[in-house]
Amino acid sequence: MPIDLKISGAVLEKGSSPGVIPLLNAFKSFFAAVTQLSLFAWRFLKEVFKPRYEFSELVKQSYLIGYKSFPLVAITGFIMGLVLTIQSRPTLAEFGAESWLPAMVAISIIREIGPVITALIFAGKVGSGIGAELASMKVTEQIDAMEVSGMNPFKYIVITRVVAATFMLPVLVIIADAIAMYGSYIGVNLKGDVSFHLFFLQVIGKLSFTDIFPATIKTFFFGFAVGLIGCYKGYNSNNGTEGVGQSANSAVVIGSLAVFIIDMIAVQITSFFT
Amino acid sequence: METVVEIEHLNKSFGSKEVLKDINIKIDKGENLVVLGKSGSGKSVLIKCLVGLIVPDGGKIVLLGENILDLKERQLNVLRKRVGFLFQSAALYDSMTVRENLAFPLRDQKSKSKEETDALVMEAITNVGLADAIDKMPSELSGGMRKRIGLARTLILKPEIILYDEPTTGLDPITSKEISELILDIQKKYNSASIIITHDVECARITANRMVVIKDGAVFAEGTFKELSESKDEWVNSFFKHG
Ligand SMILES: Nc1ncnc2c1ncn2[C@@H]1O[C@H](COP(=O)(O)OP(=O)(O)OP(=O)(O)O)[C@@H](O)[C@H]1O
Ligand SMILES: [Mg+2]
Repeated sequence: MPIDLKISGAVLEKGSSPGVIPLLNAFKSFFAAVTQLSLFAWRFLKEVFKPRYEFSELVKQSYLIGYKSFPLVAITGFIMGLVLTIQSRPTLAEFGAESWLPAMVAISIIREIGPVITALIFAGKVGSGIGAELASMKVTEQIDAMEVSGMNPFKYIVITRVVAATFMLPVLVIIADAIAMYGSYIGVNLKGDVSFHLFFLQVIGKLSFTDIFPATIKTFFFGFAVGLIGCYKGYNSNNGTEGVGQSANSAVVIGSLAVFIIDMIAVQITSFFT
Repeated sequence: METVVEIEHLNKSFGSKEVLKDINIKIDKGENLVVLGKSGSGKSVLIKCLVGLIVPDGGKIVLLGENILDLKERQLNVLRKRVGFLFQSAALYDSMTVRENLAFPLRDQKSKSKEETDALVMEAITNVGLADAIDKMPSELSGGMRKRIGLARTLILKPEIILYDEPTTGLDPITSKEISELILDIQKKYNSASIIITHDVECARITANRMVVIKDGAVFAEGTFKELSESKDEWVNSFFKHG
Protein backbone atom coordinates (compact mmCIF):
# COMPACT_ATOMS: atom_id res chain seq x y z
CA MET A 1 0.00 0.00 0.00
CA PRO A 2 1.37 3.43 -0.91
CA ILE A 3 2.33 5.64 1.94
CA ASP A 4 1.63 9.31 2.06
CA LEU A 5 4.62 11.55 1.51
CA LYS A 6 3.35 13.93 4.14
CA ILE A 7 5.21 13.81 7.37
CA SER A 8 2.31 12.59 9.41
CA GLY A 9 0.98 9.66 11.32
CA ALA A 10 3.51 10.23 14.01
CA VAL A 11 1.92 8.76 17.08
CA LEU A 12 3.18 9.06 20.60
CA GLU A 13 3.72 5.62 22.00
CA LYS A 14 2.97 4.99 25.61
CA GLY A 15 5.94 5.36 27.88
CA SER A 16 8.29 6.58 25.21
CA SER A 17 10.10 9.83 25.71
CA PRO A 18 8.08 12.45 23.91
CA GLY A 19 9.69 14.02 20.91
CA VAL A 20 11.94 11.18 19.82
CA ILE A 21 9.46 8.53 18.74
CA PRO A 22 7.23 10.81 16.67
CA LEU A 23 10.27 12.17 14.93
CA LEU A 24 11.48 8.64 14.25
CA ASN A 25 8.07 7.66 12.91
CA ALA A 26 7.95 10.72 10.75
CA PHE A 27 11.32 9.84 9.27
CA LYS A 28 10.21 6.28 8.72
CA SER A 29 7.07 7.25 6.87
CA PHE A 30 8.97 9.89 4.92
CA PHE A 31 11.53 7.38 3.69
CA ALA A 32 8.86 4.80 2.99
CA ALA A 33 7.10 7.38 0.83
CA VAL A 34 10.29 8.28 -0.98
CA THR A 35 10.87 4.59 -1.65
CA GLN A 36 7.36 4.20 -3.05
CA LEU A 37 7.78 7.19 -5.30
CA SER A 38 11.15 5.90 -6.50
CA LEU A 39 9.62 2.54 -7.34
CA PHE A 40 6.91 4.33 -9.29
CA ALA A 41 9.58 6.28 -11.17
CA TRP A 42 11.50 3.06 -11.81
CA ARG A 43 8.40 1.44 -13.25
CA PHE A 44 7.99 4.47 -15.50
CA LEU A 45 11.58 4.16 -16.76
CA LYS A 46 11.18 0.44 -17.33
CA GLU A 47 7.99 0.79 -19.33
CA VAL A 48 8.45 4.04 -21.20
CA PHE A 49 10.59 2.61 -24.00
CA LYS A 50 8.71 -0.66 -24.37
CA PRO A 51 5.95 -0.93 -26.97
CA ARG A 52 3.12 -0.46 -27.32
CA TYR A 53 3.43 3.33 -27.73
CA GLU A 54 0.27 5.33 -27.14
CA PHE A 55 1.08 8.10 -29.58
CA SER A 56 -2.38 9.51 -30.12
CA GLU A 57 -3.03 9.69 -26.39
CA LEU A 58 0.38 11.33 -25.91
CA VAL A 59 -0.46 13.99 -28.48
CA LYS A 60 -3.83 14.58 -26.84
CA GLN A 61 -2.31 14.90 -23.39
CA SER A 62 0.45 17.21 -24.64
CA TYR A 63 -2.16 19.41 -26.22
CA LEU A 64 -4.32 19.48 -23.09
CA ILE A 65 -1.41 20.02 -20.72
CA GLY A 66 0.21 22.73 -22.83
CA TYR A 67 -2.93 24.45 -23.95
CA LYS A 68 -4.62 24.53 -20.55
CA SER A 69 -1.70 26.23 -18.87
CA PHE A 70 -0.81 28.61 -21.68
CA PRO A 71 -2.94 31.66 -20.71
CA LEU A 72 -1.88 31.52 -17.08
CA VAL A 73 1.76 31.13 -18.00
CA ALA A 74 1.56 33.98 -20.50
CA ILE A 75 0.01 36.38 -18.01
CA THR A 76 2.44 35.53 -15.22
CA GLY A 77 5.33 35.77 -17.65
CA PHE A 78 4.35 39.25 -18.70
CA ILE A 79 3.89 40.46 -15.13
CA MET A 80 7.16 38.85 -14.04
CA GLY A 81 9.13 40.76 -16.66
CA LEU A 82 7.34 44.03 -16.09
CA VAL A 83 7.53 44.00 -12.29
CA LEU A 84 11.09 42.80 -12.09
CA THR A 85 12.15 45.63 -14.39
CA ILE A 86 10.32 48.28 -12.41
CA GLN A 87 11.66 46.95 -9.13
CA SER A 88 15.25 46.70 -10.29
CA ARG A 89 15.51 50.13 -11.86
CA PRO A 90 16.11 52.21 -8.67
CA THR A 91 18.99 50.02 -7.51
CA LEU A 92 20.69 50.01 -10.87
CA ALA A 93 20.09 53.73 -11.22
CA GLU A 94 21.93 54.31 -7.97
CA PHE A 95 25.01 52.75 -9.55
CA GLY A 96 24.38 54.58 -12.78
CA ALA A 97 24.00 51.27 -14.51
CA GLU A 98 20.55 51.68 -16.00
CA SER A 99 21.74 50.44 -19.36
CA TRP A 100 22.27 47.08 -17.63
CA LEU A 101 18.60 46.82 -16.80
CA PRO A 102 17.50 44.67 -19.76
CA ALA A 103 20.41 42.29 -19.40
CA MET A 104 20.01 41.92 -15.67
CA VAL A 105 16.31 41.19 -15.94
CA ALA A 106 16.92 38.78 -18.79
CA ILE A 107 19.50 36.86 -16.81
CA SER A 108 17.28 36.61 -13.71
CA ILE A 109 14.30 35.53 -15.75
CA ILE A 110 16.02 33.00 -17.93
CA ARG A 111 18.23 31.49 -15.29
CA GLU A 112 15.86 31.28 -12.41
CA ILE A 113 12.58 33.11 -12.20
CA GLY A 114 11.07 31.98 -15.48
CA PRO A 115 11.69 28.25 -14.98
CA VAL A 116 10.78 28.18 -11.30
CA ILE A 117 7.66 30.36 -11.41
CA THR A 118 6.37 28.60 -14.51
CA ALA A 119 7.05 25.22 -12.94
CA LEU A 120 5.19 26.23 -9.78
CA ILE A 121 2.20 27.36 -11.81
CA PHE A 122 2.46 24.15 -13.77
CA ALA A 123 2.42 22.16 -10.52
CA GLY A 124 -0.64 24.07 -9.38
CA LYS A 125 -2.54 23.67 -12.60
CA VAL A 126 -1.33 20.49 -14.29
CA GLY A 127 -0.09 18.52 -11.27
CA SER A 128 -3.34 18.97 -9.38
CA GLY A 129 -5.35 18.24 -12.51
CA ILE A 130 -3.54 14.98 -13.12
CA GLY A 131 -3.78 14.00 -9.46
CA ALA A 132 -7.52 14.62 -9.31
CA GLU A 133 -8.24 13.04 -12.67
CA LEU A 134 -6.36 9.82 -11.96
CA ALA A 135 -7.75 9.58 -8.44
CA SER A 136 -11.29 9.84 -9.74
CA MET A 137 -10.53 7.28 -12.44
CA LYS A 138 -9.33 5.03 -9.68
CA VAL A 139 -12.40 5.58 -7.49
CA THR A 140 -14.79 4.92 -10.35
CA GLU A 141 -12.87 1.74 -11.25
CA GLN A 142 -11.88 3.04 -14.68
CA ILE A 143 -8.27 2.03 -14.10
CA ASP A 144 -9.38 -1.45 -13.06
CA ALA A 145 -11.58 -1.61 -16.15
CA MET A 146 -8.59 -0.91 -18.40
CA GLU A 147 -6.64 -3.56 -16.61
CA VAL A 148 -9.27 -6.27 -17.01
CA SER A 149 -9.65 -5.50 -20.68
CA GLY A 150 -6.04 -6.62 -21.01
CA MET A 151 -4.69 -3.13 -21.66
CA ASN A 152 -1.88 -1.67 -19.61
CA PRO A 153 -3.35 1.34 -17.78
CA PHE A 154 0.08 2.42 -16.60
CA LYS A 155 1.16 2.87 -20.20
CA TYR A 156 -2.02 4.50 -21.36
CA ILE A 157 -2.54 6.82 -18.40
CA VAL A 158 0.72 7.40 -16.56
CA ILE A 159 3.36 7.25 -19.25
CA THR A 160 1.52 9.53 -21.65
CA ARG A 161 0.95 12.17 -18.98
CA VAL A 162 4.45 12.10 -17.55
CA VAL A 163 6.03 12.30 -20.99
CA ALA A 164 3.67 15.09 -22.00
CA ALA A 165 4.47 17.05 -18.83
CA THR A 166 8.21 16.51 -19.31
CA PHE A 167 8.17 17.98 -22.80
CA MET A 168 5.48 20.62 -22.44
CA LEU A 169 6.94 22.43 -19.45
CA PRO A 170 10.15 23.44 -21.27
CA VAL A 171 8.01 24.79 -24.12
CA LEU A 172 5.90 26.75 -21.66
CA VAL A 173 9.01 28.10 -19.95
CA ILE A 174 10.44 29.31 -23.26
CA ILE A 175 7.15 31.04 -24.04
CA ALA A 176 6.98 32.52 -20.54
CA ASP A 177 10.56 33.78 -20.83
CA ALA A 178 9.84 35.39 -24.19
CA ILE A 179 6.70 37.09 -22.90
CA ALA A 180 8.54 38.16 -19.75
CA MET A 181 11.16 39.83 -21.93
CA TYR A 182 8.41 41.67 -23.72
CA GLY A 183 7.04 42.74 -20.32
CA SER A 184 10.50 43.93 -19.40
CA TYR A 185 10.73 45.91 -22.62
CA ILE A 186 7.52 47.67 -21.67
CA GLY A 187 8.88 48.21 -18.15
CA VAL A 188 12.09 49.76 -19.47
CA ASN A 189 10.08 52.12 -21.63
CA LEU A 190 7.88 53.34 -18.81
CA LYS A 191 10.76 55.65 -17.86
CA GLY A 192 13.01 56.17 -20.75
CA ASP A 193 13.04 55.42 -24.40
CA VAL A 194 14.74 52.29 -25.64
CA SER A 195 13.95 50.93 -29.07
CA PHE A 196 13.09 47.26 -29.33
CA HIS A 197 16.19 46.77 -31.42
CA LEU A 198 18.46 48.27 -28.80
CA PHE A 199 16.72 46.38 -25.99
CA PHE A 200 17.21 43.17 -27.90
CA LEU A 201 20.90 43.88 -28.48
CA GLN A 202 21.45 44.73 -24.82
CA VAL A 203 19.89 41.44 -23.78
CA ILE A 204 21.59 39.22 -26.34
CA GLY A 205 24.95 40.85 -25.77
CA LYS A 206 24.99 39.85 -22.12
CA LEU A 207 23.38 36.42 -22.33
CA SER A 208 25.66 33.44 -22.66
CA PHE A 209 25.25 29.77 -23.32
CA THR A 210 25.68 29.00 -19.63
CA ASP A 211 22.66 31.14 -18.86
CA ILE A 212 20.39 29.36 -21.27
CA PHE A 213 21.46 25.75 -21.49
CA PRO A 214 21.34 24.58 -17.82
CA ALA A 215 18.15 26.53 -17.27
CA THR A 216 16.48 24.72 -20.13
CA ILE A 217 17.72 21.30 -19.05
CA LYS A 218 16.33 21.68 -15.56
CA THR A 219 12.87 22.49 -16.87
CA PHE A 220 12.64 18.95 -18.28
CA PHE A 221 13.25 17.64 -14.79
CA PHE A 222 10.70 20.04 -13.33
CA GLY A 223 8.10 18.82 -15.82
CA PHE A 224 8.98 15.20 -15.19
CA ALA A 225 8.71 15.63 -11.42
CA VAL A 226 5.37 17.44 -11.55
CA GLY A 227 3.90 14.88 -13.95
CA LEU A 228 5.26 11.90 -12.08
CA ILE A 229 4.13 13.11 -8.66
CA GLY A 230 0.66 13.99 -9.97
CA CYS A 231 0.34 10.53 -11.48
CA TYR A 232 1.75 8.81 -8.42
CA LYS A 233 -0.68 10.57 -6.12
CA GLY A 234 -3.68 9.91 -8.36
CA TYR A 235 -2.82 6.36 -9.38
CA ASN A 236 -2.34 5.27 -5.79
CA SER A 237 -5.29 7.14 -4.38
CA ASN A 238 -7.26 4.87 -2.14
CA ASN A 239 -9.67 6.86 -0.06
CA GLY A 240 -12.74 7.04 -2.22
CA THR A 241 -14.11 10.44 -3.14
CA GLU A 242 -12.22 12.12 -0.34
CA GLY A 243 -9.02 10.78 -1.85
CA VAL A 244 -9.59 12.80 -5.02
CA GLY A 245 -9.15 16.09 -3.19
CA GLN A 246 -6.27 14.74 -1.15
CA SER A 247 -4.48 13.53 -4.26
CA ALA A 248 -4.89 16.86 -6.02
CA ASN A 249 -3.72 18.71 -2.95
CA SER A 250 -0.64 16.66 -2.23
CA ALA A 251 0.26 16.57 -5.92
CA VAL A 252 0.60 20.36 -5.78
CA VAL A 253 2.39 20.51 -2.45
CA ILE A 254 4.89 17.77 -3.17
CA GLY A 255 5.24 18.78 -6.81
CA SER A 256 6.17 22.35 -5.81
CA LEU A 257 8.57 21.10 -3.19
CA ALA A 258 10.20 18.83 -5.76
CA VAL A 259 10.64 21.81 -8.09
CA PHE A 260 12.60 23.68 -5.43
CA ILE A 261 14.70 20.67 -4.53
CA ILE A 262 15.57 19.98 -8.16
CA ASP A 263 16.36 23.66 -8.62
CA MET A 264 18.75 23.56 -5.71
CA ILE A 265 20.50 20.48 -7.08
CA ALA A 266 20.64 22.03 -10.55
CA VAL A 267 22.31 25.15 -9.19
CA GLN A 268 24.95 23.05 -7.45
CA ILE A 269 25.67 21.07 -10.58
CA THR A 270 25.78 24.16 -12.78
CA SER A 271 28.12 26.06 -10.52
CA PHE A 272 30.38 23.03 -10.34
CA PHE A 273 30.85 23.08 -14.10
CA THR A 274 31.15 26.81 -14.63
CA MET B 1 -19.07 -31.01 -19.99
CA GLU B 2 -15.99 -28.85 -20.23
CA THR B 3 -15.13 -26.97 -17.03
CA VAL B 4 -14.06 -23.39 -17.75
CA VAL B 5 -13.86 -21.97 -14.23
CA GLU B 6 -12.38 -23.87 -11.32
CA ILE B 7 -11.93 -22.21 -7.96
CA GLU B 8 -10.43 -24.25 -5.13
CA HIS B 9 -9.83 -23.31 -1.50
CA LEU B 10 -9.69 -19.63 -2.38
CA ASN B 11 -9.03 -17.36 0.57
CA LYS B 12 -8.37 -13.67 1.00
CA SER B 13 -8.03 -11.40 4.01
CA PHE B 14 -7.71 -7.65 4.27
CA GLY B 15 -5.63 -7.03 7.35
CA SER B 16 -7.16 -9.12 10.08
CA LYS B 17 -10.47 -9.33 8.26
CA GLU B 18 -11.02 -12.69 6.58
CA VAL B 19 -13.30 -11.96 3.65
CA LEU B 20 -13.01 -15.21 1.71
CA LYS B 21 -12.17 -18.31 3.72
CA ASP B 22 -12.60 -21.35 1.56
CA ILE B 23 -14.39 -20.89 -1.71
CA ASN B 24 -14.85 -23.84 -4.06
CA ILE B 25 -16.77 -23.29 -7.29
CA LYS B 26 -16.79 -25.00 -10.67
CA ILE B 27 -18.53 -23.71 -13.78
CA ASP B 28 -19.10 -25.52 -17.06
CA LYS B 29 -19.01 -24.02 -20.51
CA GLY B 30 -22.27 -22.32 -21.35
CA GLU B 31 -23.48 -22.21 -17.76
CA ASN B 32 -24.83 -19.21 -15.86
CA LEU B 33 -24.00 -19.28 -12.18
CA VAL B 34 -25.72 -16.77 -9.92
CA VAL B 35 -23.96 -15.82 -6.68
CA LEU B 36 -25.99 -14.60 -3.74
CA GLY B 37 -24.66 -13.20 -0.51
CA LYS B 38 -25.10 -10.39 1.93
CA SER B 39 -23.62 -7.01 1.19
CA GLY B 40 -19.98 -7.08 2.22
CA SER B 41 -19.73 -10.86 2.03
CA GLY B 42 -16.94 -10.64 -0.52
CA LYS B 43 -18.74 -11.29 -3.80
CA SER B 44 -16.97 -8.47 -5.62
CA VAL B 45 -13.67 -9.53 -4.08
CA LEU B 46 -14.27 -13.05 -5.39
CA ILE B 47 -14.70 -12.07 -9.02
CA LYS B 48 -11.90 -9.51 -8.81
CA CYS B 49 -9.63 -12.38 -7.76
CA LEU B 50 -10.64 -14.22 -10.91
CA VAL B 51 -9.27 -11.50 -13.20
CA GLY B 52 -6.21 -10.72 -11.13
CA LEU B 53 -7.38 -7.33 -9.85
CA ILE B 54 -7.00 -8.66 -6.32
CA VAL B 55 -4.34 -11.24 -5.54
CA PRO B 56 -5.71 -13.90 -3.20
CA ASP B 57 -3.75 -15.17 -0.22
CA GLY B 58 -4.13 -18.77 -1.19
CA GLY B 59 -6.02 -21.29 -3.27
CA LYS B 60 -6.22 -22.11 -6.93
CA ILE B 61 -8.02 -20.39 -9.78
CA VAL B 62 -8.12 -22.05 -13.16
CA LEU B 63 -9.76 -20.15 -16.03
CA LEU B 64 -9.98 -21.76 -19.46
CA GLY B 65 -7.36 -24.28 -18.45
CA GLU B 66 -4.84 -21.75 -17.14
CA ASN B 67 -3.90 -21.29 -13.53
CA ILE B 68 -4.06 -17.52 -13.33
CA LEU B 69 -1.96 -17.21 -10.20
CA ASP B 70 1.01 -18.67 -12.13
CA LEU B 71 0.69 -16.40 -15.15
CA LYS B 72 3.08 -13.61 -16.05
CA GLU B 73 1.62 -10.16 -16.62
CA ARG B 74 1.73 -10.58 -20.40
CA GLN B 75 0.02 -13.98 -20.37
CA LEU B 76 -2.52 -12.71 -17.90
CA ASN B 77 -3.39 -9.85 -20.26
CA VAL B 78 -3.93 -12.31 -23.08
CA LEU B 79 -6.24 -14.36 -20.88
CA ARG B 80 -8.07 -11.24 -19.70
CA LYS B 81 -9.18 -10.60 -23.26
CA ARG B 82 -11.11 -13.87 -23.13
CA VAL B 83 -12.85 -12.88 -19.90
CA GLY B 84 -15.41 -10.09 -19.70
CA PHE B 85 -16.00 -8.11 -16.52
CA LEU B 86 -18.98 -5.85 -15.93
CA PHE B 87 -18.29 -3.52 -13.05
CA GLN B 88 -20.85 -2.74 -10.41
CA SER B 89 -20.43 0.93 -11.37
CA ALA B 90 -20.13 0.26 -15.15
CA ALA B 91 -16.74 2.07 -15.01
CA LEU B 92 -17.10 3.87 -18.33
CA TYR B 93 -14.11 6.00 -19.29
CA ASP B 94 -15.56 9.44 -18.82
CA SER B 95 -13.05 11.29 -20.96
CA MET B 96 -14.09 9.22 -23.98
CA THR B 97 -17.24 9.04 -26.07
CA VAL B 98 -19.34 5.90 -26.04
CA ARG B 99 -17.76 4.88 -29.35
CA GLU B 100 -14.23 5.27 -27.98
CA ASN B 101 -15.25 3.40 -24.85
CA LEU B 102 -16.41 0.45 -26.88
CA ALA B 103 -13.38 0.49 -29.16
CA PHE B 104 -10.93 0.69 -26.27
CA PRO B 105 -10.54 -3.06 -25.66
CA LEU B 106 -9.89 -3.53 -29.38
CA ARG B 107 -7.11 -1.00 -29.68
CA ASP B 108 -4.12 -3.27 -29.37
CA GLN B 109 -5.33 -5.76 -31.93
CA LYS B 110 -3.21 -4.75 -34.87
CA SER B 111 -4.92 -7.18 -37.19
CA LYS B 112 -8.17 -5.22 -36.98
CA SER B 113 -8.70 -2.50 -39.57
CA LYS B 114 -10.70 0.60 -38.79
CA GLU B 115 -13.68 -0.80 -40.68
CA GLU B 116 -13.62 -4.02 -38.67
CA THR B 117 -13.42 -2.08 -35.41
CA ASP B 118 -16.34 0.12 -36.46
CA ALA B 119 -18.37 -2.90 -37.41
CA LEU B 120 -17.70 -4.57 -34.05
CA VAL B 121 -18.60 -1.38 -32.18
CA MET B 122 -21.84 -1.09 -34.13
CA GLU B 123 -22.68 -4.71 -33.48
CA ALA B 124 -22.00 -4.38 -29.75
CA ILE B 125 -24.06 -1.24 -29.32
CA THR B 126 -26.93 -2.61 -31.37
CA ASN B 127 -26.91 -5.70 -29.16
CA VAL B 128 -27.74 -3.52 -26.17
CA GLY B 129 -30.19 -1.37 -28.16
CA LEU B 130 -28.45 1.99 -27.79
CA ALA B 131 -27.21 2.74 -31.29
CA ASP B 132 -28.36 6.39 -31.02
CA ALA B 133 -26.11 7.05 -28.06
CA ILE B 134 -22.90 6.18 -29.85
CA ASP B 135 -21.47 9.70 -29.98
CA LYS B 136 -22.55 10.78 -26.51
CA MET B 137 -20.27 11.22 -23.53
CA PRO B 138 -20.85 8.91 -20.53
CA SER B 139 -21.92 11.88 -18.41
CA GLU B 140 -24.90 12.37 -20.73
CA LEU B 141 -26.23 8.86 -20.10
CA SER B 142 -28.67 7.60 -17.50
CA GLY B 143 -27.68 4.90 -15.02
CA GLY B 144 -29.40 2.18 -17.01
CA MET B 145 -27.80 3.32 -20.25
CA ARG B 146 -24.38 3.31 -18.61
CA LYS B 147 -24.90 -0.25 -17.45
CA ARG B 148 -25.82 -1.28 -20.95
CA ILE B 149 -22.88 0.48 -22.54
CA GLY B 150 -20.67 -1.15 -19.91
CA LEU B 151 -22.18 -4.45 -20.95
CA ALA B 152 -21.55 -3.72 -24.62
CA ARG B 153 -17.92 -2.88 -23.86
CA THR B 154 -17.57 -6.09 -21.86
CA LEU B 155 -18.95 -8.13 -24.74
CA ILE B 156 -17.01 -6.56 -27.57
CA LEU B 157 -14.19 -9.09 -27.37
CA LYS B 158 -16.73 -11.96 -27.38
CA PRO B 159 -15.47 -13.31 -24.07
CA GLU B 160 -15.78 -16.98 -23.22
CA ILE B 161 -16.35 -16.19 -19.56
CA ILE B 162 -18.34 -13.18 -18.36
CA LEU B 163 -18.40 -11.86 -14.81
CA TYR B 164 -21.33 -9.61 -13.97
CA ASP B 165 -21.17 -7.57 -10.77
CA GLU B 166 -24.74 -6.63 -9.90
CA PRO B 167 -25.89 -5.94 -13.46
CA THR B 168 -29.37 -4.77 -12.46
CA THR B 169 -28.81 -2.98 -9.16
CA GLY B 170 -30.24 0.50 -9.11
CA LEU B 171 -32.43 0.03 -12.17
CA ASP B 172 -36.20 0.01 -12.48
CA PRO B 173 -37.90 -3.42 -12.75
CA ILE B 174 -38.52 -3.09 -16.48
CA THR B 175 -34.96 -2.16 -17.38
CA SER B 176 -33.72 -4.82 -14.96
CA LYS B 177 -35.76 -7.42 -16.77
CA GLU B 178 -34.42 -6.27 -20.12
CA ILE B 179 -30.86 -6.57 -18.89
CA SER B 180 -31.54 -10.00 -17.41
CA GLU B 181 -32.92 -11.13 -20.74
CA LEU B 182 -29.93 -9.63 -22.48
CA ILE B 183 -27.68 -11.74 -20.27
CA LEU B 184 -29.65 -14.80 -21.26
CA ASP B 185 -29.42 -13.88 -24.96
CA ILE B 186 -25.69 -13.46 -24.70
CA GLN B 187 -25.34 -16.85 -23.08
CA LYS B 188 -27.28 -18.46 -25.93
CA LYS B 189 -25.54 -16.51 -28.66
CA TYR B 190 -21.94 -16.99 -27.56
CA ASN B 191 -22.29 -20.12 -25.42
CA SER B 192 -20.32 -18.28 -22.75
CA ALA B 193 -20.07 -19.20 -19.08
CA SER B 194 -21.02 -16.50 -16.59
CA ILE B 195 -20.91 -15.61 -12.96
CA ILE B 196 -23.72 -13.23 -12.10
CA ILE B 197 -23.67 -11.49 -8.76
CA THR B 198 -27.05 -10.11 -7.90
CA HIS B 199 -29.51 -9.29 -5.14
CA ASP B 200 -32.30 -9.16 -7.68
CA VAL B 201 -34.45 -12.29 -7.35
CA GLU B 202 -36.08 -11.72 -10.70
CA CYS B 203 -32.71 -11.46 -12.41
CA ALA B 204 -31.60 -14.67 -10.71
CA ARG B 205 -34.78 -16.45 -11.76
CA ILE B 206 -34.32 -15.46 -15.39
CA THR B 207 -30.61 -16.04 -15.75
CA ALA B 208 -29.56 -18.79 -13.36
CA ASN B 209 -28.79 -22.33 -14.38
CA ARG B 210 -27.36 -22.88 -10.95
CA MET B 211 -26.92 -20.72 -7.85
CA VAL B 212 -24.58 -20.54 -4.88
CA VAL B 213 -25.04 -18.64 -1.64
CA ILE B 214 -21.97 -17.30 0.13
CA LYS B 215 -21.87 -16.98 3.89
CA ASP B 216 -18.89 -16.36 6.16
CA GLY B 217 -16.42 -16.60 3.31
CA ALA B 218 -17.51 -19.99 2.03
CA VAL B 219 -20.19 -21.52 -0.17
CA PHE B 220 -23.11 -22.12 2.16
CA ALA B 221 -25.72 -23.55 -0.20
CA GLU B 222 -25.89 -24.58 -3.82
CA GLY B 223 -28.67 -25.57 -6.19
CA THR B 224 -31.06 -24.44 -8.88
CA PHE B 225 -33.25 -21.39 -8.41
CA LYS B 226 -36.18 -23.64 -7.57
CA GLU B 227 -34.25 -25.69 -5.03
CA LEU B 228 -32.87 -22.69 -3.21
CA SER B 229 -36.07 -20.69 -3.24
CA GLU B 230 -37.81 -23.62 -1.57
CA SER B 231 -34.95 -24.17 0.82
CA LYS B 232 -35.77 -25.20 4.37
CA ASP B 233 -32.96 -23.02 5.64
CA GLU B 234 -34.44 -19.81 6.99
CA TRP B 235 -31.43 -17.70 6.08
CA VAL B 236 -31.19 -18.91 2.47
CA ASN B 237 -34.90 -18.55 2.11
CA SER B 238 -34.84 -14.96 3.23
CA PHE B 239 -33.01 -13.93 0.05
CA PHE B 240 -36.06 -14.87 -1.97
CA LYS B 241 -38.69 -13.28 0.22
CA HIS B 242 -38.38 -9.55 -0.21
CA GLY B 243 -39.03 -9.64 -3.97
N1 LIG C 1 -9.26 -3.20 -1.54
C1 LIG C 1 -9.78 -3.50 -0.34
N2 LIG C 1 -9.08 -3.22 0.78
C2 LIG C 1 -9.59 -3.52 1.99
N3 LIG C 1 -10.76 -4.13 2.19
C3 LIG C 1 -11.51 -4.43 1.12
C4 LIG C 1 -11.06 -4.14 -0.20
N4 LIG C 1 -12.00 -4.57 -1.07
C5 LIG C 1 -12.98 -5.10 -0.31
N5 LIG C 1 -12.70 -5.03 0.99
C6 LIG C 1 -13.54 -5.53 2.08
O1 LIG C 1 -13.98 -6.80 1.73
C7 LIG C 1 -15.31 -7.00 2.12
C8 LIG C 1 -16.12 -7.54 0.97
O2 LIG C 1 -16.27 -6.54 -0.02
P1 LIG C 1 -17.06 -6.79 -1.35
O3 LIG C 1 -16.97 -5.53 -2.13
O4 LIG C 1 -16.55 -8.01 -2.02
O5 LIG C 1 -18.53 -7.03 -0.87
P2 LIG C 1 -19.78 -7.46 -1.76
O6 LIG C 1 -20.15 -8.81 -1.33
O7 LIG C 1 -19.47 -7.26 -3.19
O8 LIG C 1 -20.87 -6.43 -1.26
P3 LIG C 1 -21.95 -5.62 -2.13
O9 LIG C 1 -23.08 -6.53 -2.32
O10 LIG C 1 -22.33 -4.48 -1.23
O11 LIG C 1 -21.31 -5.18 -3.39
C9 LIG C 1 -15.82 -5.67 2.65
O12 LIG C 1 -15.90 -5.77 4.03
C10 LIG C 1 -14.76 -4.69 2.27
O13 LIG C 1 -14.59 -3.77 3.31
MG1 LIG D 1 -19.98 -5.83 -4.64
